[in-house]
Amino acid sequence: MPHEQPVGRVVATELKPSTPYQFFFWTARESPVGIGAIVKVEAPGRTVHGIVTEAFAYSDLVTPMHDVIGADGDPARVGTQPTDRAEIRLYAAAVLRQTPEEPLQPVPLAPVFLAGDEDVATALRMDGYTAGEESTGIPIGAYRAGGLDSPVYLDADFLLGPEAAHLNITGVSGLATKTSAVEFILNSIFQTFPKHKGSIAAVCFNVKGPDLLFLDQPCAITEEDRKLYDRLGLVPEAFANARYYAPYKADGANLNTLRTHEALSENTEPLIWGLREVLDYADVVLNRDDIDAKADAFIDFLAERVVGKKFDDPTLRDRPFQVQTFADLEGFFRAIFDFMEALGRGGEVWRTHHLATIRKVRNRLSNISVRSKGLVTDDGRVNDLPWSRFEDRGVYVIDIAGLDPLAQDLVFARVVSRLREQLERRELGVDHVVVFVDELNKYAPADGPETYVKKMLLDLSERGRYLGLVLFSAQQFRSQVMRRVVGNAGTSLYGRMDMDELATPGYATISAATKIKLATMPKGELMVRHPHFTQPVFVRFPRPAVLSGREGVERFPPETDLPLDAAVARQLRSLDRSITSLAIKDLIDGRRDEDVLKALHATRRMKPDNVMAYFTAQLGQRVRGENASGQARPVPAIKRVEDPYAP
Amino acid sequence: MNAQALHRIRALVVAKGLTAASWIPEASEGRMEEASIRPARLEEDPGLMVHDVGDAEPWPAAVAFLDGIQRYDIVAHHGVAPLVIATIAAAVRERRDRQLRTVAQGFRRLAVGRPVVLAAAGDALEGLHQIPLDDQEPIHPLRDLTAVRRAVDRERGRLEIEVGAQYQRNDGDWLLVDGSLTASPSWANDPWTIGIVKSHSILPFEGADLERYLQMPCGSRSSVFAPAPSQVAPVFSWALRLWPWEGHDVFFGLIRIEAAPTRRTVEAADQISRWLLAERAPLSTPDARWDRLLYGFRAVEMFLKTG
Repeated sequence: MPHEQPVGRVVATELKPSTPYQFFFWTARESPVGIGAIVKVEAPGRTVHGIVTEAFAYSDLVTPMHDVIGADGDPARVGTQPTDRAEIRLYAAAVLRQTPEEPLQPVPLAPVFLAGDEDVATALRMDGYTAGEESTGIPIGAYRAGGLDSPVYLDADFLLGPEAAHLNITGVSGLATKTSAVEFILNSIFQTFPKHKGSIAAVCFNVKGPDLLFLDQPCAITEEDRKLYDRLGLVPEAFANARYYAPYKADGANLNTLRTHEALSENTEPLIWGLREVLDYADVVLNRDDIDAKADAFIDFLAERVVGKKFDDPTLRDRPFQVQTFADLEGFFRAIFDFMEALGRGGEVWRTHHLATIRKVRNRLSNISVRSKGLVTDDGRVNDLPWSRFEDRGVYVIDIAGLDPLAQDLVFARVVSRLREQLERRELGVDHVVVFVDELNKYAPADGPETYVKKMLLDLSERGRYLGLVLFSAQQFRSQVMRRVVGNAGTSLYGRMDMDELATPGYATISAATKIKLATMPKGELMVRHPHFTQPVFVRFPRPAVLSGREGVERFPPETDLPLDAAVARQLRSLDRSITSLAIKDLIDGRRDEDVLKALHATRRMKPDNVMAYFTAQLGQRVRGENASGQARPVPAIKRVEDPYAP
Repeated sequence: MNAQALHRIRALVVAKGLTAASWIPEASEGRMEEASIRPARLEEDPGLMVHDVGDAEPWPAAVAFLDGIQRYDIVAHHGVAPLVIATIAAAVRERRDRQLRTVAQGFRRLAVGRPVVLAAAGDALEGLHQIPLDDQEPIHPLRDLTAVRRAVDRERGRLEIEVGAQYQRNDGDWLLVDGSLTASPSWANDPWTIGIVKSHSILPFEGADLERYLQMPCGSRSSVFAPAPSQVAPVFSWALRLWPWEGHDVFFGLIRIEAAPTRRTVEAADQISRWLLAERAPLSTPDARWDRLLYGFRAVEMFLKTG
């Protein structure tokens, strides 16, 4: 919309001069200008775009006492005066861009206009990356002011690498801003990520409730939001290719997630790891006091010489060890301890490793299989993300909300490390991966010890962009997150903020008025910082076209925990709809639970054509305990003898 | 006139052989009046009385405020005779829905001096309205300045009348003029035009009447009277105390109101006074004349001075 009439005029005084980066202008009392509005100053030979950062109003009243006198000391008479005092609406604006850029001069004293679509693009330097055949613009929302609804784009090169990368969102909980924004932005990226930049997928960690559990379920969109989608050139649609991973509960049969409705089981699968998966990230499960050179050396020994290998030590036992599972590892440790005990004095060191070190490592590793039962199995079964087979525009959601914090760290560390390794070797299946982590303050706190996860997040934020590994993170309080992690986020979004948080030093550069706007921002609005924008801008984004967590659990209520037969049947039905609970019940009747689960996971892993037949084969032959004669023999009575010592 | 323009004129006249000067005479922005008593004729009451006008009431319709400003600078001397450059301006700001908007305005630049001075400056004064002073008397720089001030006063009065005439009012809309109506018969005879006089250099009574006149309490008015004829048009007038004078001086908060010389004015004096009492707020501070200067007039002055 063209704005041909000026809305204001630049003024400069000795106390409030125009500078190359800031200027002041006044407007009529009724004006569409407000905090965050983009304006244009037009002077001969120079155009300046700016964004309103502060606003002032005052009248010609010299002192409040004069108002008291004018009203005869009666507050009821204030406002009944026949004439309104002359008053000014004065705005401070920060310069977004000057044309020409050189020589850089103070903003001229000239008329001020509201920005139009083209002005917004120019002011935010979007003209440099949204034009041409190889546009890298990713819609983030619409800038709204004075009846304008201009799309605002982020530069994919600066959002997803290689120039800069990462995105961080801050905002108070409960206003659905953080999760909604990430869902919308991911969708926007998937729809507009430029072809010449390759393929992209996302891995999201669901850390609380049902937040991210219904990304594949569409929702109703209001007409206003639909128009906004149109304006941004996007289609309001759910994620077409979403897969969900959740560990089991301790029973090993029911998934530890709120996404347990049967209608959603097709793309919901268990996340199960074995010893190998854990051992590679043993650092995660060891606390700070545990980490020493001796423990490291022994873990290395286990990883390199024992686990997954044939380990032969005749002093421990005659036949070689084949350690594949936690159960095997426990047997291996038992053999060492038995051997050392048998040695007696002098039996404190085994193969240069002190017995105490071996015991410590054994305790920690055994502990993980107990604390993370459901994620880590004793028996070596594994069901993991589709490593090397990630799909373009695929979303992989890992629900770790119900896991013990130690297990959450383990999942997080292993998944991100594997993503990194595979991206490094270009064998993941996609060129870029966005990793979304909510509650970043928990994983990379500003204070607290240096944990493995924290170091890994720092590494990801500092070097991930070169690999195509991009961190999207969110938290309530940015000040509580390690500065280097959020500082590396090229793009920062701010939703409704807490005033206490805004009072922390990290927000010192934001004007008081902008802080008030941030503290009162409605749902669906964000303040955006991006490398191309010299000042933060406010945008409105439509609600994501997917069910929110709350809507999702209402429409797809989580199932109550099922007995083993029903849980198995339901999981197998995700492979073959014809399988009935009754058939499974008959089939597994009398079987050991471990055998049933082993067969279930083998079937899930193989995804055979004939699910029932494969599952039955995996169960193996039924072994019934019975007497050879088929008849119970009576126990012979104890022969009575005289007791020679009886009194 | 801004400093740059004055500097330019100064440079031009110096080039014509005049001697540059830079002086803003005292009271260059105000009108002059000599203190005197000119007895008035009462048009109401057998003797001068003080009337309580009642509570303030808001003006029932749109009201416009007319005011003007003047300013002059001595830019050069021809011999010892001054050359003065003056700026006069006037405007009408109309109040509707409590908001003031400028609806008429005029502006003029004057070059004032003896004919010989103006001739010497020649085309350096191009574009300025030239006002020659009477050169019957020998040159006296201070007396010449008094003559300059009178000439500028006259020109400002004329401009105000012109600007007032530009303002075409709807029936029932009032025009308040800052100053006397006697300079213009069209104002003086218009029942919708009211003059507000802040200056009391010329007093209408003496003796006990003057004491009563100057000691009126707040919210009261004098009887309506006809001031002694001095200018072009006769008017009716009365004084109104806007603020208590006790603790200040006898003129504090005292304004004199002028209106058309008709019976209707006498009948409406209380009503108009009540409306004017309502105009005490907002205060015209920080202007030193805030006790008598209505906010609407101050707004016009501000507009003219900053526009």
